[in-house]
Amino acid sequence: MSAEPRAPADPLTVTIDGRAVEVAPGTLVWDACEKAGVFVPVYCAHKKMEPVAVCRMCLVEVGTLPKLQPACATVVQAGMEVRTATEKVRRFREGNLEFLLLNHPLDCPVCDRGGECDLQDFAQRYGPPRSRTAITGKVHFDKARPLSDRIMLDQERCILCWRCVRYCDEITGDRAIVLQERAVHTVVDTFEGRPLTGPFQGNLPEVCPVGALTHTDYRFRSRPWDLQRTPSICSGCSYGCNLGVDSRDDQVVRLVSQDNPDVDDSWLCDRGRYGVPDLNRTDRVVSAETSLEGPRRPLAATEAAAAASRALAGLLERHGPLQVACLGTSQMTNEEAFALQWLARDVIGTPHVDHQLRDWPQLSVEEFRLGIRELEECDTVVVLGERPEQATPVLTLRLRKAEHKCGREVRRVAADADPAPLAALVRGRRLVGVVAHETDRTAARELAAALAPGNGEVRRLTLTDGMNGRGCKDMGLLPHLLPGYQPAERTGMGGREILAAAVAGRLRALIVVGPNPELEAESGFEAALQRVELVIALTPFLGAISRQARALLPGRTIVEKQGTVTSSEGRVQRVRPALHPRLGAGPSELRLLIEIGRALGGAWDGPPLATPAFQVLATAVPAYRSTRGGLRAAWPGWGSPG
Amino acid sequence: MATVAEAAGTPAASTGVLSHATRERIRTARARYPSPRSAALPALWAAQDQLGHVPAEAMAEVADELGIGAAEVEAVATFYAMYFRRPPGRHFIQVCTNVSCALRGADDLLRHLEQRLGVADGGTSADGCFTLESTVECLGACGGAPALQVDRYSHEDCTAERVDQLLDRLRAEGAGS
Amino acid sequence: MAAQERRVLTRHLGSPDLTSLAGYEAVGGYASLRQALTMTPEAITEQVRASGLRGRGGAAFPTATKWSFLPKGVFPRYLCVNADESEPGCFKDRVLLESNPHQLLEGTLIAAFALQASHAFIYIRGEYRAQRELLERCVDEAYRGGYAGASVAGSDFACELIVHGGAGAYICGEETALLDSLEGLRGQPRLKPPFPAVRGLYGQPTVVNNVETLSNLPYIVEHGGDAYAALGTAASPGTRLFCVSGHVERPGTFEVPMGTTSLADLVELAGGVRTGHRLKALQPGGGSMQVLGPEHLDLPLDFKAVADAGSSLGAGALVVMDETTCLVEVSMRLVDFYHHESCGKCVPCREGTYFESRLMHRLEAGLASSDELATLAEICEHMDGRCFCPLGDTATWFVMSAYRMFGDEFRAHCGAGECPVRARGRRVA
Repeated sequence: MSAEPRAPADPLTVTIDGRAVEVAPGTLVWDACEKAGVFVPVYCAHKKMEPVAVCRMCLVEVGTLPKLQPACATVVQAGMEVRTATEKVRRFREGNLEFLLLNHPLDCPVCDRGGECDLQDFAQRYGPPRSRTAITGKVHFDKARPLSDRIMLDQERCILCWRCVRYCDEITGDRAIVLQERAVHTVVDTFEGRPLTGPFQGNLPEVCPVGALTHTDYRFRSRPWDLQRTPSICSGCSYGCNLGVDSRDDQVVRLVSQDNPDVDDSWLCDRGRYGVPDLNRTDRVVSAETSLEGPRRPLAATEAAAAASRALAGLLERHGPLQVACLGTSQMTNEEAFALQWLARDVIGTPHVDHQLRDWPQLSVEEFRLGIRELEECDTVVVLGERPEQATPVLTLRLRKAEHKCGREVRRVAADADPAPLAALVRGRRLVGVVAHETDRTAARELAAALAPGNGEVRRLTLTDGMNGRGCKDMGLLPHLLPGYQPAERTGMGGREILAAAVAGRLRALIVVGPNPELEAESGFEAALQRVELVIALTPFLGAISRQARALLPGRTIVEKQGTVTSSEGRVQRVRPALHPRLGAGPSELRLLIEIGRALGGAWDGPPLATPAFQVLATAVPAYRSTRGGLRAAWPGWGSPG
Repeated sequence: MATVAEAAGTPAASTGVLSHATRERIRTARARYPSPRSAALPALWAAQDQLGHVPAEAMAEVADELGIGAAEVEAVATFYAMYFRRPPGRHFIQVCTNVSCALRGADDLLRHLEQRLGVADGGTSADGCFTLESTVECLGACGGAPALQVDRYSHEDCTAERVDQLLDRLRAEGAGS
Repeated sequence: MAAQERRVLTRHLGSPDLTSLAGYEAVGGYASLRQALTMTPEAITEQVRASGLRGRGGAAFPTATKWSFLPKGVFPRYLCVNADESEPGCFKDRVLLESNPHQLLEGTLIAAFALQASHAFIYIRGEYRAQRELLERCVDEAYRGGYAGASVAGSDFACELIVHGGAGAYICGEETALLDSLEGLRGQPRLKPPFPAVRGLYGQPTVVNNVETLSNLPYIVEHGGDAYAALGTAASPGTRLFCVSGHVERPGTFEVPMGTTSLADLVELAGGVRTGHRLKALQPGGGSMQVLGPEHLDLPLDFKAVADAGSSLGAGALVVMDETTCLVEVSMRLVDFYHHESCGKCVPCREGTYFESRLMHRLEAGLASSDELATLAEICEHMDGRCFCPLGDTATWFVMSAYRMFGDEFRAHCGAGECPVRARGRRVA
């Protein structure tokens, strides 16, 4: 594989079933067929893997060649004529499906894959009308054997398309699943059937075209036609993987990948994919409550918000704004984050606003310059320590792709390594990428500075904690930076100082938004809150925040709300409600924040809904204006990062 | 990044089923090739020569020696018909029943051997002396059909009598050692 | 004219101690290599081109042309010697390996020099364990004699010789499967293109040549390509080693000139059809190839003539079957063989050979219906030309050709309850 970018070549024209289509040289017939709108059935070919042409399902007629050719592995040539709908092709597909079904158990009624199985679908569409397998009997293999606590293997259902084997070879590189034995006895398995241990097992059932590899946690749970799919973003980390939330009866049943070639490249990590139980948590704040006007009692969320506003107004009148602080969370949407900082700065008039406990000195958007896709274009990528891949696991697969498919150099160095020796080694590169977790951003800055003189350009990617940690920073949910990284006139207290002020009794009111596991896990957090006169909390889950709130407003989970989030690389993507908000949850956090602000005399332009709110924030942060469709924010001087 | 061997969970064992001599054979083979992985077949042969078959532990140790995953070694070992997963008899008798031998009485020869050894095709005699197998490739001895191969040597133009003599001789050798 | 052998490849057979370096040198061995090293690689290739030598592994591709596909200036390059002889009915490479291994090594080194290959790997099938050990001993001798290693015969050409033992997989005779096996993988055929000449072993330019092909090189270098070509006819030059087996009086290998010798000559050289019996069918080329009838006996050993008759000279075999032979049974044995040896990579071969084998067993036992016989033909249609590599295709060739030629025999098996050929044999007896 050439490391140099390919020179664009003139397109050529091929004919697919009489339809002329223009494609780039090097295109596979299979892709040309897709472009021509001609469906060609296939099992082994996979967009993310090299062709192997083993299933033969995609054989088509090409030009005057006497033999049928595999569309998945044949490269187009100018003037090539491809025929997929001939009697010869039809007969072969029927014959090949008979072969595939010969030793298949036909246990569709108890197979999790039923309804979304390519074997079932193609057998219906192209298969033989009758079975002759009574003649032969079937070869039997292991059924329903756990390959790990996450994955089940059914060797009888396997059609040996090699996708799982190639996934383990080409994509993860652990080569854990291999082919064993030979001829009709061939199976896929691990070494001696030992458990899989990798962090990306959940992709296996997705690459499997049949029911051979299935998810243990989805076993006998549902049929696909009973599920509703909502496209959204994984909330497991700040990488921004696209996924489909499959739900049924207002429960999330499973998460499936949705290929975004710029981000996840169709892979999810197990931590994200199997985070379903977190999305179905039942320890929820189901009703607003206040103890502001008498003993703690449930009431409608709008009434509770009004009561909170009144209490806050009184307090501001008595003590002024500087004893009020706002603490958001890196789980909130951009719209909510922007609204919270508006409430703090523009309405209340306090500079004490943050979204986490860490300080972010010398923060500039430049440390998020390097995009995920650009990792494939860097001559050298330097990764600081293990934290980036621990924080955002799918990064590992992109680094592997950069290294093995794109021929890039990937260097993993200790986060506290001396930059000088590395700078001596990495020289004369056109583009160097430095990837670090936010914990190590100082080291990354020093390393980038050391690398800058010897190389063309050095770009950094800082991986932030929390699903929308990056967006919160862009939105100015920081004590020292306004939206768009504009310096604040007066720097307020950061998260940790706010807590310290609370402990010291110097904080009279705190608006706190959850869920914020980092905050709630902080020792002394609850005690600190107890010393604050007025705690207004918006949170979906029961916990320290909800316990200490004097005005408690129920929040929505990430699968119940609408809005945008920004991944570490600055990609602004939409989350959509897959579930109805829990009964009694009332208005969205965004609406509540805006209503509180309005009650205190603030002016918010437009209705308190996610889409108009995005217009509002994009006015303040122009880089967000052209992010529609999930693009990266275009910061001044960056060109169009795509 | 974990190496493949680490990822496969195979510790670099200093003691194991492979003898020092076998490991030396594997290392010598490995050094001959431009890529260490190429020594997979020679390494498995070395393991089988020592152990009589290739158990899982041997595969894991071969993987270590070659710097590849144990699963990769198992993938290879199970592909080739001549690596035994379980210990065979002391002598391995392959009876060719392909066309040229079949035309010259291989089936009768096989039946005779089954009777003599008291085993079905594929089985091992009760005394552990012989494993009989006819599901083999053409042995390339069609000029001397019917042919069979005992361990590494082929025997051609086989008749019941000559085979009986051969079995007796091999038994006697085994008893003497 | 009575059939005659013409010994080129086998010219030294019978010389004392031929399998030792000294014995081989005593008959002039390695002189051709020394001579080759004084020539340019291009000049050697030209001699090979002039000889008209075609691959003896079965595909009969012109050897010099195969060599010329190597991209210029790309190194290292590799030569692989295909000693994975496994075609049912073929044992000629074994004869060369056993009787004159140094001739193969000399030919290998000549080819390696012509190709400027840094390594030559001899891939020998696992079943040939004794032959492998002999070859390993000869390679050691060649190293000690200065014919292999850092300075081949004192020249500045360096070439490593490595004997690589297979472990029981017919498919490794397919050249790309052989390469994967050499790389320590499951021996499964590779997707082509790229072809081995461009991206072969370890992704480098590679030539794979058969044992017999390379064993011809010392003679060609010594006597010149034209002299070799003159041994046969223009279309089928040179001599060739044929393995005659089955129902003949004296099975064995016979070296004969191509083109001028006929199938009947080969049968005659093998002592004719066994006494008291008459010819029923012939299979030239090895297990993969189509059956021929007694009417084809006069066919010359000419690539085109045999191809026109619907079969192939393949890897140089001739299996002779007399009237006691049941073609259904022979078909079944071959189908079983391919079923066992299918690498399992592609669907039509993996599942098709299984289906085929099950049906053939039912047919042979007289249990199949005529519908099942039709099914058999359909299965073969879905396999032939649809498989990843030729193994699956050829798994249908013999059975289908036999069905065409001996259709009555196949049909007579349907529902007969037993093999009618065997039953007839019992009645005759």
